[in-house]
Amino acid sequence: MGNTSMIQIEGLTKKFKRFTLGPLDLKVERGIIVGLVGANGSGKTTIFRLIMNLLKEDSGKIHLFGETKEEVEWKKRVGYTGELLEAYDFLKIEDIKNYLSRWYSKWNEDKFHKLVKRYKIDIREKFGKCSKGTKKKIEFIFALCHEPELLLLDEPTAGVDLVSQRKMKEDLIEFMENGERSILLATHTVDEINQLCDEVVVLESGRVVHQYNKDDIYDQWARIWVSNVPEIIKKHHHTIHYEIGPAQIITDQVSVFEEILHENKVEIHQIQRLSMEEVLEFLIEGSED
Amino acid sequence: MKIPIHISEESREPIYHQIETQIKTMIATGQLPPETPLPSIRALASDLGCSVITTRRVYQNLEIAGYIKTIQGKGTFVRRLEEEQLHHTKQKAVYDAFEKAVEQGLQLGCTKVELDTIFKEVVNKYYS
Repeated sequence: MGNTSMIQIEGLTKKFKRFTLGPLDLKVERGIIVGLVGANGSGKTTIFRLIMNLLKEDSGKIHLFGETKEEVEWKKRVGYTGELLEAYDFLKIEDIKNYLSRWYSKWNEDKFHKLVKRYKIDIREKFGKCSKGTKKKIEFIFALCHEPELLLLDEPTAGVDLVSQRKMKEDLIEFMENGERSILLATHTVDEINQLCDEVVVLESGRVVHQYNKDDIYDQWARIWVSNVPEIIKKHHHTIHYEIGPAQIITDQVSVFEEILHENKVEIHQIQRLSMEEVLEFLIEGSED
Repeated sequence: MKIPIHISEESREPIYHQIETQIKTMIATGQLPPETPLPSIRALASDLGCSVITTRRVYQNLEIAGYIKTIQGKGTFVRRLEEEQLHHTKQKAVYDAFEKAVEQGLQLGCTKVELDTIFKEVVNKYYS
């Protein structure tokens, strides 16, 4: 059991009128947080909806906890934030809680009350009356209170105030403490990639175009200031970008480039790591061209 | 439970190695005394912006080398170092710092004689 992936997706496809997802492979290992990034409309939400059975795939396989999703039990092991509660927007938050908590054998009532207090939620308010940010916080609380092993978070902090964003990050770190749980996190926030994610998956037009261990990005992506940019580098497929004045190269294979530059007698003035923000911009922008 | 580790933007040294060296130095200098609790691998990864794969590797290496110990259910703590290990770690930290300075000199085109002169001047400045 220990080595089983929490999520394993193979050859997943789903066709819409103007958009096709996949074929797509994705793996989320136990103890790991995977960040899902990509421009709006790249397919992040569709993946979540397919995993949650809110949409039916055209082809491909989704395994959760090493099993197919035939039994309903798997839903109790997953916490999902993605507008599921909209269906109850005429109910007060405490009524939604009373209704949903019955369904979960591991529902943690203490945790619920602790969290609504922590996020300053008035549970006598109707869900439909809450602001966008407050709704996000409520979804987040509901995703955590049945003690899931896997969280599927679709932009959980969008529209949420700064203090609550910080608290959510803390709660997610605590969620991961025992090393046995996992999170798939769709986000546009660089801070969340930096402070939470272990791996980064870049989605473009319904396909996974890059998948990195985050530390490989730090170790292998760099800006190299050089005496000149030789032709071989200009055409090299690991050249992400280059400029002439002052001459500099951005690469995702810095150790390989050091050798090439050395062989071509190009002088290296300085090498600097790239910030995650710069890398993500290249990954997301670059793949559009 | 934050510990002051700095990941260099310029250094080509892998991240896990930078973290490992800095924790060793903090333990050797007494900045992290014996029995000090260390952050969990997840909390440390979050602070430093790296993955838990890296922080786990750092803690494993430090544990094998005898710098830290993990107590099941309680967390990770600094161990008391043997005199010899303490000495060795301090020497290594100074050695590394010199090496970096020499690399910088080389990059700027200093000759060996120039570096020797600078070295003596700096040492004399502090040890008069």
